[in-house]
Amino acid sequence: MTWNFWRSKSCAFALFAGSAFALSLSIAPAEAQKAEPCIAGSWELTGPLAHTGLAIKMGIDAAVDEINEAGGVLGQKLRVIAYDDQGEPSRAVDNARRIGDRDNCIIMIGGYRTPNALAIRTVLSEMGQPWMGVISAGTRVIEWETGANEWMFRVSMKDRWVAPFLVDHAIQRSKTKKIGFLYEATGWGQGALVDVEATAKAKGIALVGKETFNIADQDMSAQLIRLRDAGADSLVFWGVDREADAILRSMDRIGYKPNIISAWGIGVQLGKTAGQLTEGVVVAGTYAWTGDLSPRAQKVWQRIKASNKLQQPSELVLPSGTANAYDAVFVIAEALKIAGAYDKKKLRDAFYQVKYQGIVANYSPAFEKTAERHDAILPSYYKLLAYHKGILLPIEQTPYAAKF
Amino acid sequence: MGEILQYLLTGLSLGGIYALVALGFFIMWEATKAANFTHGEVYMFGAVATVVLVERGLPFLIAAPIAIAAAAVIGALIERLLVRPFNKEPNAIGWMLTTIAAGIMIESFATITYGPLGRPLHSPLAEHPIRFAGAGIYAQEMLLPIVAVMVMFGLEAFYRRTTLGRAMRAVAFNRTTAGLMGINPNRIALIAYALAAAIGALAGILIAPVVQAAPAMGALIGLKAFGVAIVAGIANARGVVIVGICYGVIEKLIEGYISTGARNAVGFTLMILVLLLFPQGIFGRREVVKV
Amino acid sequence: MTARQQFIATLLLGVAFLILFRQLEPSNYQIGLMMRCMILMIVTIGLNILIGHAGLVSLGQAALYGLGAYVAAWLAVKQGVQFLPAVIAGVVVTGLFGAALAYPTVRVRGVYLAVITIAFGLVFQNILVEWLPVTGGTQGLIGIPRGNVFGVSLTRPIYFSVVAGCLIIAFIIQYNVIHSRYGRAMRATAQSENAAKALGINLAATRTLAFVISAALAGLAGGLYTFLNLFVNYETFTFFHSVSFLLMVILGGTGTLVGPVVGASILTYIAEILQDLQEWQIFAYGFLLAAVMFVMPQGIVGTCGALWERFVVKSRGRETHGWPDGSVALAEILGPGEESKQIALETKALTLRFGGLTAVDNVSLEVQSGTVHALIGPNGAGKSSLLNLISGFYVPSEGSITFFGAGIAGLPSHELARRGIARTFQNTELFGQMTVLENVLAGFHSHYRNTLAETLLRLPRFGREESQFFSQARQLLKFVGLSDFAEEEARNLPFGHQRRLEIARALALRPRMLLLDEPAAGLTHGEIEHLKKLIRLLAGHGITVVLVEHHVEMVMTVSDHVTVLDYGRVIASGSAAQVQKNAVVIEAYFGHGRVVPTRSPSPVLLDQPGAAE
Repeated sequence: MTWNFWRSKSCAFALFAGSAFALSLSIAPAEAQKAEPCIAGSWELTGPLAHTGLAIKMGIDAAVDEINEAGGVLGQKLRVIAYDDQGEPSRAVDNARRIGDRDNCIIMIGGYRTPNALAIRTVLSEMGQPWMGVISAGTRVIEWETGANEWMFRVSMKDRWVAPFLVDHAIQRSKTKKIGFLYEATGWGQGALVDVEATAKAKGIALVGKETFNIADQDMSAQLIRLRDAGADSLVFWGVDREADAILRSMDRIGYKPNIISAWGIGVQLGKTAGQLTEGVVVAGTYAWTGDLSPRAQKVWQRIKASNKLQQPSELVLPSGTANAYDAVFVIAEALKIAGAYDKKKLRDAFYQVKYQGIVANYSPAFEKTAERHDAILPSYYKLLAYHKGILLPIEQTPYAAKF
Repeated sequence: MGEILQYLLTGLSLGGIYALVALGFFIMWEATKAANFTHGEVYMFGAVATVVLVERGLPFLIAAPIAIAAAAVIGALIERLLVRPFNKEPNAIGWMLTTIAAGIMIESFATITYGPLGRPLHSPLAEHPIRFAGAGIYAQEMLLPIVAVMVMFGLEAFYRRTTLGRAMRAVAFNRTTAGLMGINPNRIALIAYALAAAIGALAGILIAPVVQAAPAMGALIGLKAFGVAIVAGIANARGVVIVGICYGVIEKLIEGYISTGARNAVGFTLMILVLLLFPQGIFGRREVVKV
Repeated sequence: MTARQQFIATLLLGVAFLILFRQLEPSNYQIGLMMRCMILMIVTIGLNILIGHAGLVSLGQAALYGLGAYVAAWLAVKQGVQFLPAVIAGVVVTGLFGAALAYPTVRVRGVYLAVITIAFGLVFQNILVEWLPVTGGTQGLIGIPRGNVFGVSLTRPIYFSVVAGCLIIAFIIQYNVIHSRYGRAMRATAQSENAAKALGINLAATRTLAFVISAALAGLAGGLYTFLNLFVNYETFTFFHSVSFLLMVILGGTGTLVGPVVGASILTYIAEILQDLQEWQIFAYGFLLAAVMFVMPQGIVGTCGALWERFVVKSRGRETHGWPDGSVALAEILGPGEESKQIALETKALTLRFGGLTAVDNVSLEVQSGTVHALIGPNGAGKSSLLNLISGFYVPSEGSITFFGAGIAGLPSHELARRGIARTFQNTELFGQMTVLENVLAGFHSHYRNTLAETLLRLPRFGREESQFFSQARQLLKFVGLSDFAEEEARNLPFGHQRRLEIARALALRPRMLLLDEPAAGLTHGEIEHLKKLIRLLAGHGITVVLVEHHVEMVMTVSDHVTVLDYGRVIASGSAAQVQKNAVVIEAYFGHGRVVPTRSPSPVLLDQPGAAE
């Protein structure tokens, strides 16, 4: 056997060069087409926060069913497509491509996590794909540093507006006027840090402590000891149920009982696991299904209850998300009617003309052509809920309503 | 003053978990020179199964032993089906992958059927913390290091005084020779895995009232406990428990004084460094192999 | 189908497939998916070299992949570095970390190494999450500018070719490394450390090379990924992903050439299909991993290869030839022998203790070059320990050893091998899964002059040296009568043939001294006669032969000089005739109920006037 590698090497190189040439000459990607009447989302359907994806889907399904029963939009019935991204931003990007490119859905619905929404910014604008967030409240999702957001809209809260909302309440509840900030080490929590610090600065108060914790941590005594020693008696909190439970227990251990004013990461689940420890915890949100409901909301609840075999409204583990999702679909339907066709660009332009009364807010108009106003729900519609006797209720129905 | 006491207390509790789970690795390694990457999931199974049984109406004191027994069966099945066929040659690593695969399946199955959210398990010892000198701890949490030490003594007595225990040590020392002495190494392996699983499940049950039982609770604990066992040299029960408890305390101290976020980075780096210094583990014996 | 044919065929098929793929006008999404698949193939190729050839299991490969990605991303976003330098920087940094990861292999192996790689992966992940200013924390680095090479913007269609090109390069590197002395050295260190050391292969260097190559490929893949995705985030580089890469390697076929390509593509596209399973995705993934282990542990390519061997390849009749084959010109292969008589080996007061046990006690002996010197003694006398001391496997507790005048006590075995000390082992330590020819080629390892660069680029000197050593290896096989078995896997050889192969492999080292550890054990009478002839031939050529043997009859007829050990001490030393008559020797062997095992049917030649006490 002769080892004439020159020959095989040149052969390989020639092939490579030839193919490289051929490949680069290739055809451009497929042209844009009319969009399909499908609403698709990349949600966390498996993993520790799977309940969030399911909660969003519940709201979407309820709205789509209602709309389809009335005949659909522009003569077509809407379809819902659900993709699982397991909470991973890179999967969210993949799913965004699937939705925009392969499925060519008229609109993509956002999921729970801010990092996932941030990750798909570029790919959405490349594809010219409209997107509607229903939770992912990170400010930067909608207000880009480069100022160039053209396709992403949101029916949800905005952390930059939530921060002063919460900080105000924290100051009111605080006796010592010393506020601390406790946040999860994710894109959402870290992004909120910026908003909360800016708020504190604007109001001329100093945060006496800023502590972070990791997802799946089970003991936060170190952080809480530091906050306690700094004298904070009210904590603004940015995290979710699971870690909140660990935090409440850590507080119980060391005998530290500050007021907790939380963004909407805390949901109904906390009451089930932490029981009495949740007493007095205040949570921001856009909607509560417990307590008294408007007649329309009653009907929506009945529909959700039937489709998902639930018993109590307290089983809606992400009340704001479900409500936002419901309203978002109707806003989209309104925009489609204004646009007159299943065309992505026309839909996007139509958004600025939508006026609609939803269960969360009266959108009038839903959106405006500013960087800030791709968010539909204004701070005046933000609500506070509070835990009382283990149940999360609108704050007016608990002893913790602000008396100011 | 209160701080360091707090870190010590929570560290002891966390260390107790590591110690118990690592003991399981020790027992399994001794019997088969293989580890079971599903072990973290058995810990989770103990907690989750107990919660499910209690929710169905069984009293805790009946639910827990049933869960432990079920875990033991699972442990034995894993040995028989996933480890034994892939451990034939001295340097086989097939078992690593089959047990990782099983771990993935168990966790995702639990997430689908039980749900991803944690659920509480009531225990009177987890209602009110015991507080002193500015620090506090639930009595439930202190159970863990105490039980770990008790199990350690129990194991040592078992290995030294009972026939079965001595048989297990023989298999650990030299499988073939033990076989020639009439000991069935396969049966020993089954028993070892069942025992290890029972201990792991017990740890999960003990801590569940404090941290909630959720399908995701086991994976990282399993990996860390495995590291702990390796660093201890998987040589004897005492060493494993000592290293486990120490690692728990060290983690808490890192959290308190260096960085809460970086505790895994620091902790695992420490593990790597220790392994480089003591390639056979801290308490391991240096084996001289005949060439 | 030879390896080279397989390689060229795969290359051609691959390129043809890619061209065809583009002709079908796939959507942007499909192009992206294919590119991601190709990038993962690059990672898998690297991991395949590490696991399949060097036998080192790494469960932290995703961290290396991530390191390459983040380095490139950080440079691009924060420092405005262009595509090429950013990716190259990623490769370099990752390669360095690969070398660092290789360091533990010096001290730990197997599961311990796996734990270190897992820990490394978790540390990396933690750093990604915590080091907010640099890594962007949990959010990662977004807004990476599209790659730009010499003014050409790397949009999808063009970037596709770039990625494909890198994959082809990676594939060629894999082939070039595997089929070279470096690949053989890696396989040797994985299959028998002791034999590898004894052939002059530097274990640490070989393992480091394997780690560096696999890390560099992972780093390259990471850099390419960054400019494909235009954002990086820690969730792509978790332990789960390290497990996926491992699964890709195994599914394809560990150690095969085409395996990584097959494994990576199947898993990437299966992930697409699994999407529809929603919640059951991850479960199905675990199930797949388990299923592969049960049904096809050799992977797809491996199983196909095995089936091909069984059903297609007709077994050829193999003829065992006589040995030693006098027609083989030893001088050409082994070089000119020692001319003058010198002291080849000398030990002075050599002592070895293991704790309380003294295995070798104050041994002083001299071995003349070009002679056959035997070490005999009862079991436990310290013969093998002495041999291990001489060949560098043990470090003496006291005393000195000199080899042709130079002190060698305490030098590592691979160093001694390079100085010309070759050995065989009591339990034949062949590289079982390598072919007979490759085993002998491994022996030539330290005589190669070509460098890694020449190997990778297949420059002329590589071809020349391969030709030369291949033909010399065949000559050595002819010398021991195993020519027909060249392509057979060493572990399939009958026992006697294995012994012959071990000697041929030791000769490939071109030794000045050959240490044989119980070479006659298990051989038939006829084979022992051949062995004796071979030993004398070698001695006649000027090679010093030291043999440890129990077979007293053989020892007495083949040796020039015999040293007898008992309890680690020299109790007699002299010519065969002298030693036979030595009373102390006789007592050591026969007195006090100890029996010398002998396989020779002819009686032991000893004068023993009433020896029994």
